[in-house]
Amino acid sequence: MKVSLRWLREYVDLPDDAESVARALVALGHEVEDVETVTADWSGVTIARVLEVAPHPDADKVRLCQVTVGGDPIPVVCGAWNFEAGAVVAWAEPGAVLPGDFRIGVRTIRGVESNGMICSERELGLGDDHDGIIVLDDDAPVGTPFADWVELPDTIIDVTITPNRPDAMSLVGLARDLAAHFDTGLRIPAPEPTTVAGTVGTRVVIDDAEGCPRFVLRQIDGVHIGRAPYRMRRRLAASGVRPISNLVDVTNYVMLELGQPLHVFDADRVNGDFTVRRADDAETMETLDGTTRRLDPTDIVIVDADGPTSLAGTMGGLRSEVVDTTSRVLIEAAAWHPPSIMRTSRRHNLRSEASARFERGVDPNLPPLAATRAAELMLATGGGSLVDEVVDVIARPIEPAVISLGVDYVARTLGPGFDSAHIAELLGSIGFGVTGTDPLEVTVPTVRPDVVRPIDLVEEVARLHGYERFPETVPAGPGGGWSPEQRRAMQLRTVLAGAGLHQAVNLSFLAAEDLDAFAYPADHDGRAVVRVVNPLRDEESAMRTAVLPGLLRSIRHNRSHGRPDVALFETGKVFFARPDATDPRIPAQPDRVAWAVTGGYGATELGAEARPADIHTATALLRLVAERLGLDVALEAATEPGFHPGRCARVSIGDRTVGYVGEIHPRTAAAYDIDTRVAAAELDLAALTAAVDHRLLAAPSPYPQVDFDLAFVVPDAVPAADVVGAMHQAGGALVEHLAPFDEYRGVGDGQRSLAVRVRLRSHDKTFTNEEAAAVRAAMIEAVAGLGGALRGVA
Amino acid sequence: MDDRLTHLRATAPDLILRAETLDALHEVEQSVVGRTSPIAEIRRTLGQLPPEERPGVGRAVKEVADELAELIDTRRAVLERAAADALLVGDRVDVTLPGLSIPTGGLHPIQRTIDEICEIFIGLGYRVAEGPEAELGWYNFDALNTPPDHPARAESDTLYLEWEHHDELLLRTQTSPMQVRWMEQHPAPSYVVVPGKVYRADTIDASHLPVFHQIEGLAVDEGITFSDLKGTLAHFAHEFFGARTKVRFRPHFFPFTEPSAELDVSCFACDGGQSDCRVCRGAGWLEMLGCGMVDPNVFTAAGYDPEVVTGFAFGMGVERPAMVRHGINNIRHFVDNDLRFLEQLA
Repeated sequence: MKVSLRWLREYVDLPDDAESVARALVALGHEVEDVETVTADWSGVTIARVLEVAPHPDADKVRLCQVTVGGDPIPVVCGAWNFEAGAVVAWAEPGAVLPGDFRIGVRTIRGVESNGMICSERELGLGDDHDGIIVLDDDAPVGTPFADWVELPDTIIDVTITPNRPDAMSLVGLARDLAAHFDTGLRIPAPEPTTVAGTVGTRVVIDDAEGCPRFVLRQIDGVHIGRAPYRMRRRLAASGVRPISNLVDVTNYVMLELGQPLHVFDADRVNGDFTVRRADDAETMETLDGTTRRLDPTDIVIVDADGPTSLAGTMGGLRSEVVDTTSRVLIEAAAWHPPSIMRTSRRHNLRSEASARFERGVDPNLPPLAATRAAELMLATGGGSLVDEVVDVIARPIEPAVISLGVDYVARTLGPGFDSAHIAELLGSIGFGVTGTDPLEVTVPTVRPDVVRPIDLVEEVARLHGYERFPETVPAGPGGGWSPEQRRAMQLRTVLAGAGLHQAVNLSFLAAEDLDAFAYPADHDGRAVVRVVNPLRDEESAMRTAVLPGLLRSIRHNRSHGRPDVALFETGKVFFARPDATDPRIPAQPDRVAWAVTGGYGATELGAEARPADIHTATALLRLVAERLGLDVALEAATEPGFHPGRCARVSIGDRTVGYVGEIHPRTAAAYDIDTRVAAAELDLAALTAAVDHRLLAAPSPYPQVDFDLAFVVPDAVPAADVVGAMHQAGGALVEHLAPFDEYRGVGDGQRSLAVRVRLRSHDKTFTNEEAAAVRAAMIEAVAGLGGALRGVA
Repeated sequence: MDDRLTHLRATAPDLILRAETLDALHEVEQSVVGRTSPIAEIRRTLGQLPPEERPGVGRAVKEVADELAELIDTRRAVLERAAADALLVGDRVDVTLPGLSIPTGGLHPIQRTIDEICEIFIGLGYRVAEGPEAELGWYNFDALNTPPDHPARAESDTLYLEWEHHDELLLRTQTSPMQVRWMEQHPAPSYVVVPGKVYRADTIDASHLPVFHQIEGLAVDEGITFSDLKGTLAHFAHEFFGARTKVRFRPHFFPFTEPSAELDVSCFACDGGQSDCRVCRGAGWLEMLGCGMVDPNVFTAAGYDPEVVTGFAFGMGVERPAMVRHGINNIRHFVDNDLRFLEQLA
C-alpha cells in the first residue's frame, strides 16, 4: 500500500523526517518496501485567480487573461479554453523553471505582452492531460506556491500489510499504530455534513445475517458528476489509485482513509427495495466490467425488484451503475463475512482493493461513519442534498470482544518485566479498553478482528513494547546431535565425494520421458507413481520413483556443455503410490542414494585418457561405500529395468535386497542422448545407513604370510563370487586376503580362466610348507566342486 | 726420510684435491699409492735396506700411505656425492605441469549450507530430524493453525497429490509440519532442527523453483520466552554470517506462531551502508527467516499442553542464504548440476 506521508500527517502528528516514520512502521510490523521522495520538478509556480478573460486583439486561437496572485492584474496570453474568469489556476511567473529546464519569461505574443504562463498538468509533469490548463478548486489559496497545494514535496512509503491486520490497510489504521508508537494524538475524521429532512427511498432487508452483519445506506439528491477536487485527485494518484470521477474518487478516498470499501448506486436505476441474500444457482448478473457472471449460493448479492444488482463486497452491477447523468445516489457501506467475500472474489477471479479488505476483515461497525464521511465529501465535490435518514440495518450485532489476560500469561511468553500497568498502557495506546489489574479485562474494538485470544493480546503487548527492547538469552537443548543414521549418511556422501563424485540435487519429479526410457513393466515399483493434481508443467506432473533418471538428465546437461566425463551422486526421496509402512496415511517415500558415472573416471597421467567408467566402476564405488560403512554387501547377477541386462547386479545385505548396481541399459542411456557406458547404482539409503554394531578390529599377526596365485578354468555360468566364496570357505580363518586379479576368456567356449591371489597367515604360528600346501589343495578341491579345474592341469 | 716420500707428501695432496672426476682421482690414486707409485717402490725395496733402518722407513711409508689413502677416500666421497647430485639435477621436471589428474568430487552447496546450519544448532543442544515430503494437509496446514480457506492452500500456491488413502495429500510447502510430527512422537523438551525439501506451485525463474529447501527449528520447554527466540536466532546469525552481523526482529504474521517476527540481518556486502549495494539493493538488511512463539493451538494439535510449555519456532530458506553467501544470482544453478558450477566448491 502506497502511503502519502503528507496525507498521513492529516491524522497523526509525526516526526519531520520520513526515515523515523518508516522505522516506526517497521517496528510496528508494517514492512516498508520502499521510501520514495517526490519533489516538485518546477519553481516559480503560484496559485492565481483569473480575473478576466478577453479575446486576443490579433489572434483567434489564444485569449488574453488578467490574473492576480493578490496584487495588480497581470496580463497572460493563454491558448486553453477550459476555464473562464474566476478560475483558480497554476501560474508560472516570469523566471519560473518548468520540467525539462523550460524557462518562463515575458514574451510579446502578436503585439500583446504576456507575463509567464498558465500551466497544464503535462507542463508541470503531473500527468498527461494537455487538453486544457489545471483548474484548481475555488478554495485553493491564491498567492501561495502551487507545490504546497499539491502537497509537494511528499514522501511515498510503500507498506506491506500482513494479512492479519486489515485495519492497517488504511491511513487512519496506520495512524492509530503510529500515534501509539510516538505517543501523539490521533485525529479520526468526524464528518458533520449538512442534511435535509427526508427518508431514503430504498429500504433494506438482510436475509443472510451470517454473510452481512450490517448494511448502511445514505442518499444524496441532486449531485453532479464531475471531476474530484484537485488535491483529492493528487492524493489518490500518489496512493496509486487512478482518479476517475468525483463520486468514484470519493469512495476510493474514504476506503484509503478509513479502510471501508463503499459502493454507490444510481438511485434512479434501482428498482424498489434491496434484499441482501445468497444468490440462486440459476441467477446471473452483469457486473461493472461488462461481464455476465453465473452466480451460485456462495455469492452474496444485493437484489432489487429486478434481481441481483451488486455482487457483495466485490463488484457492483452494471444496471445500477453511476453514469454521467446520475443525480440521485445511494451510498452503500456494509460489513461482509470475510470467507464469503474470499470465495466470491476467487471464484469470479475478481480481486480488487475492496475485496482485499473485506476478505481480511473490515470493522463491522465502521459503515455508518464511512457512509457519512463519503456523503460529506460528495456534497463538497458534487453538491446536492443529503437526506438526513441513515438506513442502518444490523442483522447480526458484532460487539467488541472482552478478553481476560493474566499478567502471568504475558510473562510466560514474553518474560519478566510486564506488570499490569505497563500492559494496560500499551493496550490502551491503540484504543483497547482495559479494566482490572490481574487478570486485566481487555475490550478489543471491532476494528481489530484479529484479536480474539489472550495470546493475540500478548502479541500486541510485544509489538507495542518494541521487539528491539527484549533482552537476548540462549537456552540450550538436551543435546544429541546427529543421529547415528544421519552421521552415516553424511559419511556416505563424504566417501562418494572423496571418490570424485559431485553431489547433485534434482527436482523430485518424474517426466514421461523417464518412464519410457526406463521401460518399467506394468507391475514394477517404478510405475507406482504418485501424481500431482495441479502441475504447472508436464515435467512436474508425477513424483519420481527413482533417482537415476534425474542423474541421467544431469549427465545429458553436462555432455551438451562439453563435459563427457561426468561423475554424480544424489541422495533424496522417491515416492510410491502405496501406504507408508509406519504412517499408512501417507505414501511410502524412502530415501535413496544413486550414482551415475560416465566417460573417463579415475586418476590419469598428463595427457592420458582415464579408464572409461563401466560396471566395475559402479561396483568399486559400492565396495568402497560398503567398506567405509562396515557393510557386508553381496552381489548377484540380475536384470532390472533401466540397467544393462548383462551388466547388472542385485545388491543385498543379509537376505534383503537393497538396490541395483551396474551399467545403464544402452537404450535407456540413448533416451538421454548418452552413447557411452554409464556406471550406475540406485540403493536404499536407510539400508546402508542403519546403525551397525561396533566393528571389532583384529590385531595384525606377527607371523609371516604365505602368498600364492591359483588360476582356474571355470564354466562361464559360475560367478567369480562363488569361486571366491568356495576358496574362502576352504581356507577358513587362515585367509588374510583372497581376490580375483585376472579374467581370461581364450580357454574354450563356455569357459573362462579366473586367476585368484591368495595370502594366508596364521594368528598363532608360522606356517610350514606342508600346511600351506594343504590349504591350497583344499581350495582347488573346493573350486573343483563348482566345476572348475586348476589351469594347465589336465 | 726418503726423498721420494718427502716429495710425495708435498705434492700428492694437491693432486688428490685437484682431481675433478672420479676417473681423474683413480689415476691420481694409481700414481701415488698404486703398484708403480714411489710408495710401492719403497715397500718393494724395503728388504734391501739394512735391518736397523727397516722399521723406521716402514713406519714412514705406512704413515704417508695412510695419510694419502684417507685424503683419497675423502675426495672420492665428495666427488661421488657431486656425481649423484648432478644426476638429480638431470632428473628435474617442470614443476608447474598439472601432474596426475585425480578426480575431485564434492558436496552440493545446498548440502553444505544445510550441514553447516544444523551444526550451529547441534552446538546449542538440538537434534536433527527429517520428515515426509508428501504430507497431509492436516500437518502442513490445519495443525499449524491455518484455516481451510487460507490463501496458501489454494491450488495456485500448493501442489496437491492424488491419493486414495487419506484426505488432502500435498507436497509440503514448508518444513513446519515436522514441528507437529516431532511433538507427537517426542515428549517435551523438544529442541530440533528439520532440514528438507519443500514445494510450491511456482514457475521456474531466476529466483523461484518448485522444489527448494528449508530448515525448520523448534525449541519447546518449560519457561521458553521471546527473549530465548531472539537470543538463539541472533546467535545463529552471528555464527553463520559473522560476528559483525547486526540483526533486526520485525513483527510479522504467521498462522502458527504468535507473536511472530521476521529476522533481518545487516547486509554482509555493504554492512548496510551503500545505497547502490548489489546484494541488499540499498535496503541495508536482508530478510533471513520467519520465526515466532509457537501458537497454543499448535501445541494442542500436537498433543502438548500449552499451559505447561512454551516454545519458539523458525523457518528459513536454504537457497537464499546460499545464494547470498556465494554471490549467485540465479537459483537454477542449484538444480542444473553443471560440473562447472559444482567443481568450484570441490
